[in-house]
Amino acid sequence: MHIVVCAKQIPDPETPPSAFKIDAANNKVIPAQGIAPVLSQFDGIAAEAALRIKEANAGSKVTVISMGAESAQAAIKQVLAMGADEGVLLNDPAFEDGDSHTTATVLAAAIKKLGNVDAVFCGRQAADWDMGQVGLLVAEDLGWPVAIIAKGVAMGGAGLQVQRVLENGFESLETPLPAVVTVSNEFGEPRYPKLPQIMAAAKKTVTNWKLGDLGLDAGAVGKAGSRLKLEKLFIPEKGGKVELMEGDTPQAQAAALVARLQADKIL
Amino acid sequence: MLQPTNVPDRPQRRVGAWWGPAVGISALGFYAAVTTEGSASREIGYNADHPWAVYAFMAALVGLMGYGFVRHAGLWLIGRPTPGLLQEIPHRLRNAARLGLAQDKVRRDRYAGIMHWCIFSSIVVLTIVTAQVAIEADLPFKFLHGPYYLFFSFYGDLFGLIGLVGVGMALYRRYYSDFHRIRWDERLEDHLIILGLGLVLLTGFLLESARILVTELHQHPDWAKWSFASYAIARGLDVFSFSEKQVLWLHTWVWWVHIAAAFGWLGLIVFTRLDHLFFAPINAFFLRTDSPGRLAKIEDIEQQEVFGVGYIQDFTWKQLFELDACVRCGRCSEVCPANISGQPLSPMHLIQDLKGHLANVGPAIQQHRHETGELGRELSSVALVGDVIKDETLWACRTCGACVQECPVMIEHVPTIVDMRRFLVMNEARIPATAQAALENLEMRGHPWRGTALERTTWMEGLGDVPIFDGSQEYLYWVGCSGSLVERNLPITKAVFRLLGEAGASFGVLGQEETCNGDPARRLGNEYLFQILAQQLIETFKAKNVQKVITNCPHCFNTFKNEYPQFDGHFEVLHHTEFLAGAMQSGKLVAKHTVNTTVTYHDSCYLGRLNGVYDAPRQIINMVHGANLTEMQRNLSKGLCCGAGGGNMWQEEVGERRVNHVRAEEAMRTGAESVVSNCPFCIQMFEDGVPAVHPEEEGRMKPFDVAELLEQAVFGPAAR
Repeated sequence: MHIVVCAKQIPDPETPPSAFKIDAANNKVIPAQGIAPVLSQFDGIAAEAALRIKEANAGSKVTVISMGAESAQAAIKQVLAMGADEGVLLNDPAFEDGDSHTTATVLAAAIKKLGNVDAVFCGRQAADWDMGQVGLLVAEDLGWPVAIIAKGVAMGGAGLQVQRVLENGFESLETPLPAVVTVSNEFGEPRYPKLPQIMAAAKKTVTNWKLGDLGLDAGAVGKAGSRLKLEKLFIPEKGGKVELMEGDTPQAQAAALVARLQADKIL
Repeated sequence: MLQPTNVPDRPQRRVGAWWGPAVGISALGFYAAVTTEGSASREIGYNADHPWAVYAFMAALVGLMGYGFVRHAGLWLIGRPTPGLLQEIPHRLRNAARLGLAQDKVRRDRYAGIMHWCIFSSIVVLTIVTAQVAIEADLPFKFLHGPYYLFFSFYGDLFGLIGLVGVGMALYRRYYSDFHRIRWDERLEDHLIILGLGLVLLTGFLLESARILVTELHQHPDWAKWSFASYAIARGLDVFSFSEKQVLWLHTWVWWVHIAAAFGWLGLIVFTRLDHLFFAPINAFFLRTDSPGRLAKIEDIEQQEVFGVGYIQDFTWKQLFELDACVRCGRCSEVCPANISGQPLSPMHLIQDLKGHLANVGPAIQQHRHETGELGRELSSVALVGDVIKDETLWACRTCGACVQECPVMIEHVPTIVDMRRFLVMNEARIPATAQAALENLEMRGHPWRGTALERTTWMEGLGDVPIFDGSQEYLYWVGCSGSLVERNLPITKAVFRLLGEAGASFGVLGQEETCNGDPARRLGNEYLFQILAQQLIETFKAKNVQKVITNCPHCFNTFKNEYPQFDGHFEVLHHTEFLAGAMQSGKLVAKHTVNTTVTYHDSCYLGRLNGVYDAPRQIINMVHGANLTEMQRNLSKGLCCGAGGGNMWQEEVGERRVNHVRAEEAMRTGAESVVSNCPFCIQMFEDGVPAVHPEEEGRMKPFDVAELLEQAVFGPAAR
């Protein structure tokens, strides 16, 4: 069993609101000073799901791949420290500023290049943009079945047995391999790495693949291949407005309030 | 620099003074004896048919002790080497004298102190008495005659009686009083030891009386009176008018019982906790000479096979040795905040469980080591951490040091517990979820406060120009993660900042460049993370030419002061209360305004017990006009932890009660309007605990930092 975990490095979701800044002119988030990016929490959970299957099935292997900047090495090392076997960084200027679709294109190409992959585990969504698309689109590109928002996943039946979180409960599915699963926080917490593994992970080399290594066309990835266009990025303004109801008597003020609420179609 | 203040209930030497009266009485006896007529003496070994039996018993005892020692030592030696044990010998000898012979710690419980002194002094003196008898009998020196013989009779009886007083006190405590801690792990040997000693002393008196009855009572009553207790008993026996034959028969039998009981009792040393006779003073010699707030550094951590202690043989041999010193007195568990709150840790039982495990698996490991030279970690069928000592037991420890402070045989529980935590965290990665979150946060964000919405500079808002440390100022004011990222502590940070300014201190802060110094990581067992954080910060300090640091938090204080020197980071470190008390005393800081309030003061463990700073905060409170300090029952070195230490700030508590609820109740019982402390964790624990224990009295008592109180006194009540 060879499982690929897709991991994304994101700006720290715990960045204090006062330190979160955007570049409105270029529609970009400005990385906060002195606050290091982190592994998206759902991807850590996906890694945990993959590692539990690896531990329960001798001879299994887990590979972690990440598309992103050079700094995403840290996210890969973190999953390696948890117990993954190999790591691949997909880093190329051409990959930048894409959308979920182009990200999926790059990841799917890498998975095909790895070969002999039985399953791909992703987080249910990246904790920065919260799109929740990439897992589905990777499955589409690979032509594999997909089960999203899983709270449980194990080997069994036709291939994998998956419990999916629904609004009012959960459903159990069975899927043949190969397949894609996106894992939700209901699955449980990712493990704390053991120190010997942290040290072993520090010594491992992460494979680096560029656009050319994946045999992709520059026009199909990154900004060039993007189908989604970001119109405007802004921090919503929060505020309150106070309006005092005029009137000489409490009755008159109440009547004015009713009229005001009706005008706003609240009553 | 600091003047002693009026601090109630400071532990004092009370029982040590008992040597005074005892020696005084003996001196009077000596004076009386030498001024008496000089032909008194007695036949040594009187009426004893088989005096050689004493030497047979003695040979058996020596053999037994040798066997016992070899058996123990073999087990200790499966441990790792203990570095630094033979350094600072004079200091160690002083410890052995002060803690081993003078028994400073035994006296922290007054009743037990008196009881133990009686028994101890009696055994020491009576051993000397017996030795003199042996010398007189079997060596050419003859000195037991004349005045010295009379004096000898006198102090022999005196200390026999003192011994009986001690035995009586022990019997009362064990069998009549409602005294729990000595019954938490009561065993047969406990009865044997105390009853056996009673038997030895009583038969000693009876023996002496019988001899006096036959040889002195009527012939030399003026000699007999010197053995005053035996003389009284002899007088009593004389009423029955026994024949000489009957008394001699009694004498013979009592002699045998006395000799057998005495040597039997000494034999208990080999098999029972009576071995503390030797192990306690030796362990006092082995006691650390550095600060109790310092945890050991794992050298070359990246080269280790196993991290922390997960197998009994990974303890140092000193840690194994001290297991044997434990006398199961229960003092540690009596003061342990976790145990007091019904949480799953009792330091005494932990030590006993380790001792039992060593006895179970030690011999096999010893043999394996002997045969193969390998460590034999795989030999134990039960896991030290997890089976013998449960995970939750290790997590319940606050590292407050109360157990170590009280232990009369100088066992250091905290380093042993942290060693096993290290194994849990680094080797096994078995950590409570919330503690894990704190550690992950330390790794990712350099502070333990997951989910904080504050920045390290938020507290500066509204304070105008806050100087950034650039090496030109005298002090670095170290705010700390709690001082900057936890809402409640911001007013404390601001108060210290304003007071430092008012006192004219030359200081700056690091602002965004502060990162955790690693204390929570070290206490939670992640030594690796601690070392990384510590080394980073030491580099920062050195790059900025930091020499002197004033900290907000006693945990940062302890780490900088006691632990950074392990990484070649040597700084002069002050807690803000020390600096502020000094500034007030030198007149640089004046508390102009009256603050009419009653306060109680809570000693944080890391400032008080582990670093000995008890006076400075109290001095500040005493110098605030109108502030009236009332102490809690547990205070100073006996103060109870707030519950947050040892990384428990970030853990869910398991057990009957929360430690902070117990402590909050104690604070409320004083009737004070505020509970004043010096530590951001303590303040947070009281903020949570005070409303929880007495919700009906909401708002009656408020937690404050000493600096907040002082801020009102310096800048006026409207200061905040």
